[in-house]
Amino acid sequence: MTTTANSLLVRDDRTKRRNAAELRFRAYGLGAIGIAALALVLLLSSVLSSGVGAFSQTFITLETSLPEAKLNKSGLRDPAVMAKVSTFGYAPLLRDALLTRIAELGITTSLSDKNVDAMISKEAAASLRDHVLANPDLIGGKVTMDVLADGRIDGYFKGRVTMESAARDGNTSPEALRVAQRLADAGVIETRFNWRFLTAPDASDQRPEAAGLGVAILGSLYMMLVVLVLALPIGVAASIYLEEFAPRNRLSDLIEVNISNLAAVPSIVFGILGLAIFINFSGLRQSSPLVGGLVLTLMTLPTIIISTRAALKSVPPSIRDAALAVGASKMQSVFHHVLPLAAPGILTGTIIGLAQALGETAPLLLIGMVAFVREYPAAYSHEAGLFGEAATALPVQVFNWTQRADPGFAERASGAIIVLLVFLAVMNTVAILLRRHFERRW
Amino acid sequence: MTESISTMAQLKISARNVEVHYGDTIAIKDVSVDIPANSVTAFIGPSGCGKSTFLRCLNRMNDTINICRVTGDILIDGQDIYDHNVDPVQLRAMVGMVFQKPNPFPKSIYDNVAYGPKIHGLARNKADLGDIVEDALRKAALWNEVKDRLGSPGTGLSGGQQQRLCIARAIATSPEVLLMDEPCSALDPIATAQIEELIDTLRQNYCVVIVTHSMHQAARISQKTAFFHLGNLVEYGDTDQIFTTPHDTRTESYITGRIG
Repeated sequence: MTTTANSLLVRDDRTKRRNAAELRFRAYGLGAIGIAALALVLLLSSVLSSGVGAFSQTFITLETSLPEAKLNKSGLRDPAVMAKVSTFGYAPLLRDALLTRIAELGITTSLSDKNVDAMISKEAAASLRDHVLANPDLIGGKVTMDVLADGRIDGYFKGRVTMESAARDGNTSPEALRVAQRLADAGVIETRFNWRFLTAPDASDQRPEAAGLGVAILGSLYMMLVVLVLALPIGVAASIYLEEFAPRNRLSDLIEVNISNLAAVPSIVFGILGLAIFINFSGLRQSSPLVGGLVLTLMTLPTIIISTRAALKSVPPSIRDAALAVGASKMQSVFHHVLPLAAPGILTGTIIGLAQALGETAPLLLIGMVAFVREYPAAYSHEAGLFGEAATALPVQVFNWTQRADPGFAERASGAIIVLLVFLAVMNTVAILLRRHFERRW
Repeated sequence: MTESISTMAQLKISARNVEVHYGDTIAIKDVSVDIPANSVTAFIGPSGCGKSTFLRCLNRMNDTINICRVTGDILIDGQDIYDHNVDPVQLRAMVGMVFQKPNPFPKSIYDNVAYGPKIHGLARNKADLGDIVEDALRKAALWNEVKDRLGSPGTGLSGGQQQRLCIARAIATSPEVLLMDEPCSALDPIATAQIEELIDTLRQNYCVVIVTHSMHQAARISQKTAFFHLGNLVEYGDTDQIFTTPHDTRTESYITGRIG
């Protein structure tokens, strides 16, 4: 080595190369984070931009007259007789009301009756009928209601439908949009926040404007309850036994390997299992939250067991020694000392498992939860069979809506994804908060 | 040798031909020792000589290790603690243990000490339990330092205080024997001095058995010393005798610093 090489003020080649390598590595890392962040931003912005429309809805305020002659021919106000008037009996009333409103505002239009009909959602007649049947005294008078506008009109106010696209559309016309614009200027048509999206059940292919997530949210909620009630105690009990009590031998090794393998099994396999065991063998009702919850429980169990075991393992052995040395039994040492220390890890694992289950679609398709559920299942309003009625789930509802033809459903699907993401974000936040809360105790 | 022990004090622990195996390896070979009550007995020896293993036999903490097998007899007050009818949980309430690294529960100071009495039902009511806690903390020479903050976490104390808390926790179940596995090895000299002083006072009420790496510590605090080497009990006798006139050359080599 020469004397100049010993100067600390001059970096030798080796140091320069090491510094350059470190710099490169940092650049790679930053690049990787950048790509991940970009992907997240793209995902969120695309979902938000296409889905935020689902949270507002266009309504038409109409004063509809309810002629006795049409709705109550017998004059007896017999509910059974009145119920014989179908939604087809109510639709013309709404059309008349809208035509009257158009005439009052002095809008001249060449729209035919059929075209005016098309401006009002097909759901509107149904809700008017329900309202009248619930309040028979209204018959003979007039009722003012906010009824849903048709999906195309709604789309026009959200920018999805334009004059150009309407010209090519058999379901609407530029003239209808022009009239709608005049009505909106007069305050008859209004777009506002749409609670129905969160509360209403699904709707048929022709009426995307009426479709909501109510049943899907309830179904998901019930399934999560089933998963929580079953998977948490079973998973935690299994992990405690395996980690703290089970003798270390070939059998316990085998069980351990199999649990790890189960965690990696594709979720659709659990769907097949659920179909075979819970529906075909046990005869439970298909597409019910109970079966969905059971399948998701099977799927979530390995996740919970693995994270719980990791949490138990991370508790220092000195705590177990300390408890045993003062004369605690094995079980006392686990339940009094080890479990409380492992609780944050267990909770985090459970909530992450639940979040995974909440977003799971494939196994639910196999057990029939892809069903189109038009009405709130009777059980949701009655006492029996709370978990046994047909329902759907949030991710399945997204899947369902993306398959529908009407572009209004694409917006609904994105809106449903936003709801799902909000639920997931809330659950993860809860997981983090719980973890902090328990860790901060000392 | 047996004669000198019986004349010195009442016999507390008597081990006969104890052997400990970990799987196929033998950790302790044929150890027989008589430990008197109300005294401090030190186990010394180089690392891996089996002194901690033997200590852990005395409260059956080795039971928690699956592959560990203990043969021979260990009698405490004449009762065989490895008898089938002996529940180790009951035994451990009678034979307290303090570990190398202070390991308080991540709970309050009060709860740390109260835990043992609680699970053994030693207190009739809350006031009673409070008295037990106070008494244990006083005996561990910690009461004056923590009496105003019994609710604060035990893990927030200094290392020496934590170790005294662990001693208080062990005392709280009113054991008769107190096992200490290198209780000062993680502590600074001042904390070590406090613990040593404490051990000297504990001797009046308990049979203390301490494993230590420090020969000076053994010389300072113990009345009896046992020297272990490679799983054998090489020499056992009065501390003064071991450190001044060891019978075995290996003991002499160890205490003069030539092995270990």
